[in-house]
Amino acid sequence: MDPEEAAERLVSKYGSGRGSLIRILQEIQKTFGYLPREGLEAVSRRLGVPLSEVLNVATFYHQFRLEPLGTYVVQVCFGTACYLRGSPQVYEAMRLAAGLNGGRTTTEDRAITIEKARCFGCCALAPVLMVVSSNGSERYIHGRLNPQEARRLVYAYRQRAAVAAGYGSASAGSPG
Amino acid sequence: MVRVYVNGVSVDVPQDAPVIEAVEKAGYRVPLLCYLEGLFDEATCRVCVVVVNGRVVPACRFPVSEGAKVLTDSPELTRYRRLNFELLLSTHRLRCWSCSRKSRCRLVELSRDFGVEGIPVCAECPLVGEDCLVAKGLPCLGPLTVAGCSAECTRQGLPCTGCRGFVSDPGVWEDAMRELYGKYGVEREDLEEAMKFFWRSVPERLRRTLSGVEGG
Amino acid sequence: MRPPAAPGRLIYGSKGFRIRVPLSSCTLAAGAEEVYRAALRAVEELGLDAEVYRVGCTGLCFMDPWVELAKEGLPPTIYANVRPDQVPRIVEDYSRGDLRGAAALRFRIEGFEGGPPALEELDFWRLQTRYVSRNCGLVDPESLEDYVETGGYSGLRKALSMSREEVIEAVKASGLRGRGGAGFPTWLKWRVAYEQRSDVKYVICNGDEGDPGAFMNRLLAESDPHRVLEGLIIAGYATGATRGIIFVRAEKPLMADRLERAVEAARRCGLLGKDILGSGFDFDVEVYRSAGAFVCGEETALIAAIEGRSRPRQRPPYPAVKGLWDEPTVVNNVETLAHVATIFQAGIEEFAKYGTERSRGTKMFCVTGAVRRTGVYEVPIGTRIKTLVFDIAGGPPEGRKIKAVQIGGPSGGCIPAELFDLELDYESLQSYGAIMGSGGLVVIDDGSCMVDVARYFTGFTLAESCGKCLPCRVGMKQLSEILERIASGEGSVEDIELAQELGESIAKTSLCALGGTAPNPILSTLRYFRQEYVEHVVNRRCPAKVCSKLVKYVIDPYLCKGCGLCAKACPASAISGSPGRVYQIDESLCAKCGQCLVACPFGAVRKV
Repeated sequence: MDPEEAAERLVSKYGSGRGSLIRILQEIQKTFGYLPREGLEAVSRRLGVPLSEVLNVATFYHQFRLEPLGTYVVQVCFGTACYLRGSPQVYEAMRLAAGLNGGRTTTEDRAITIEKARCFGCCALAPVLMVVSSNGSERYIHGRLNPQEARRLVYAYRQRAAVAAGYGSASAGSPG
Repeated sequence: MVRVYVNGVSVDVPQDAPVIEAVEKAGYRVPLLCYLEGLFDEATCRVCVVVVNGRVVPACRFPVSEGAKVLTDSPELTRYRRLNFELLLSTHRLRCWSCSRKSRCRLVELSRDFGVEGIPVCAECPLVGEDCLVAKGLPCLGPLTVAGCSAECTRQGLPCTGCRGFVSDPGVWEDAMRELYGKYGVEREDLEEAMKFFWRSVPERLRRTLSGVEGG
Repeated sequence: MRPPAAPGRLIYGSKGFRIRVPLSSCTLAAGAEEVYRAALRAVEELGLDAEVYRVGCTGLCFMDPWVELAKEGLPPTIYANVRPDQVPRIVEDYSRGDLRGAAALRFRIEGFEGGPPALEELDFWRLQTRYVSRNCGLVDPESLEDYVETGGYSGLRKALSMSREEVIEAVKASGLRGRGGAGFPTWLKWRVAYEQRSDVKYVICNGDEGDPGAFMNRLLAESDPHRVLEGLIIAGYATGATRGIIFVRAEKPLMADRLERAVEAARRCGLLGKDILGSGFDFDVEVYRSAGAFVCGEETALIAAIEGRSRPRQRPPYPAVKGLWDEPTVVNNVETLAHVATIFQAGIEEFAKYGTERSRGTKMFCVTGAVRRTGVYEVPIGTRIKTLVFDIAGGPPEGRKIKAVQIGGPSGGCIPAELFDLELDYESLQSYGAIMGSGGLVVIDDGSCMVDVARYFTGFTLAESCGKCLPCRVGMKQLSEILERIASGEGSVEDIELAQELGESIAKTSLCALGGTAPNPILSTLRYFRQEYVEHVVNRRCPAKVCSKLVKYVIDPYLCKGCGLCAKACPASAISGSPGRVYQIDESLCAKCGQCLVACPFGAVRKV
């Protein structure tokens, strides 16, 4: 299904009122993993809501993403406990190792996405990060991190993503 | 209709009318910026704040109610309005020499009212555009000088000599350097010479910006 | 306090042997799922006639994951920090009456002596008043029967037998105030909405809960969702609403799922829909999964989100007059609604017994940070901070000293340790520069720098500012830059004064409560810890040695054994030396990550 079609189907499912906008965007993201531009344009046309308004909503709420995710999504916890125990250093070290700069959160090869997360309740393991595969099938938690260990994780998951894409080799199991 | 008291003056206005209506009816003024009657009532700039029954609220949007006591001026209100206005200016690129609003600019009016010295003389200068003295190659200091003099000198064709002091935003200096002095070939030495008329020494950072060391 | 008398079936189950395992977001993160499976296996392998039972969370996070074993003839016993591999042994021992290794008994029973202390003999339980949280960790959150067995929906039945005005008067008489932050009287919102002439009215349960460090609403809704729903139905009846909406973040799926299941179960039993319990009252509820933004905790922004927009708007008109789709709308917080249900179940007198003159009842607090017993605790309003922090949460970990608590999250303020005699209620917290907020309480010890704490919270609200009004959008940016300057030693005394002035102005002139409270962390740290700011700008020194631009790492030549572990750990290759000799840190290369400090086995690396 292309985004255009998905938008059409969802508008007929949830109704063409303004109140369905967020729900429709949530469903599109569930299907594609992000909000493709064509999808947003189609939603704008079918709901009669200006594209600027659709984009306003799509960029305002944390749940929505405008670019596709990497094979692995790394969420570095920035809750109070993790922050005070050095998650900013971990985050920066990983971005550096992944070659991310500016506003980019996903690597060129779409292997890894690195983002900040709100507390996920593992404060005893601070600083902590969670890695989920974008298809939702894998989920790992790594705790008591330091920048060195964090950099190693970037390389490990990058290799793993390459294996998932069908080239390179790696051993099974959690890279942690 | 409800009765409200603006600085002690009682006026009658329709229920739920915005406070500004009562204020104006009572003969007082409150600075307005983002408010456009009937068009825009989002109350986002927070420059028109007044005190209603002890609470700080925007006059353009807050509805009156029976017996409301409105205070339009106090040292705190002046401070809040001024600070919010300064915050707004801090996000504004003050390239007044290339702005099409010229002398009809609300920001210039308010900065005069609040005594905020951030805007260059070009904002008040009638020569902006084709008749600009800098464009004619003269070392006019208007783009760097604090407005508020109604640009008396340039109105008479005399280049500004910076008697009011220099605007503090380095971004304005850089823009002026690139968009005016650099473009029209006004030499740094001439600018510094012009500055010496009123100022024994030019601030070091300004001097560096003019000579293109910084940022370059 | 005594646990509420629970019927035997709830404790021991129909088989007379019930093993309770908490399955909620927080315990699952701590590994409760594996413990649950281990318990199932253990029961099967041991051939026991016992049921493994899913319950919610008690709020005693420091025990996670825990299990509770209850076999008739034995006291119900709680085991803390259980690993899956320990489960078979625990189950086997317990079923033989051997309670070694247990953390606590839920209560003592006659004819069984000894064993670990009972919960009510332990400060962290005894000093609590489990009023709205009474069922948490006790009942299956997905079972309507369990809830009804504890008196559930009797409150709704009672409310429906009264007139709408009587219900509002009853809530007024109870003295209940909103538990979401500002403490607005609940009855007043209801009354205003009730008085509006409109065919359509809404009641909304605000379950957004975006504060880092506050999760009591999630805990309540995941552990006892029917209580929240019952409160919402009563609110709907009192105001004359026809539809209720439960607003939950999509990123808290378990909370949304459990509430959704509660709604479905209630609908099946005629507790929702047409003519509820034969009263002629029609009402239905849907769970709305929000896309997540901190500002949605503010009621006009929450309403905007449901309408498919973003950003709050200037009040008045208040939502009770003109809210969702311009109709009268009441927005109540999860905990407030749970209180409503409990008040109607247990009676006004029971509720009004707790709390202070101005603020009745109890409040749940999340205590996190530098304490031994992290958790969610429910105490009467007016409980002293020191009781909560020291007696209940156990005070600081070994060797640390508590410096302050941050109350109310990023919208709140800090209260220094000297003021821990202060009573936790809306007015006194406000007069000391903090707010009750949703009840998050982060304990800060002497290892933290208050400038850095203010910087953290300011960064949070700056990122969460919706950008609509100027003071919050630009003012918070300026405040954050000022703090950045101060933390990097480039600030001046004028910066401190400017921060104060700007903070006050933002608080006074912002459009919504987010901006109105965002400067609280900086204003309260300036009020109580100004000396720390002064140290940063005058002496260019961070007293707590946290602000990285102001600290230096050095190797003590007398303690260094020349092992080279620090050099190996250094990601910036800033440490040089050769084995057996004293190593040295090149300050120009040092990234101040602190890895060398962690790596050195001899304590030779120091921050100065």
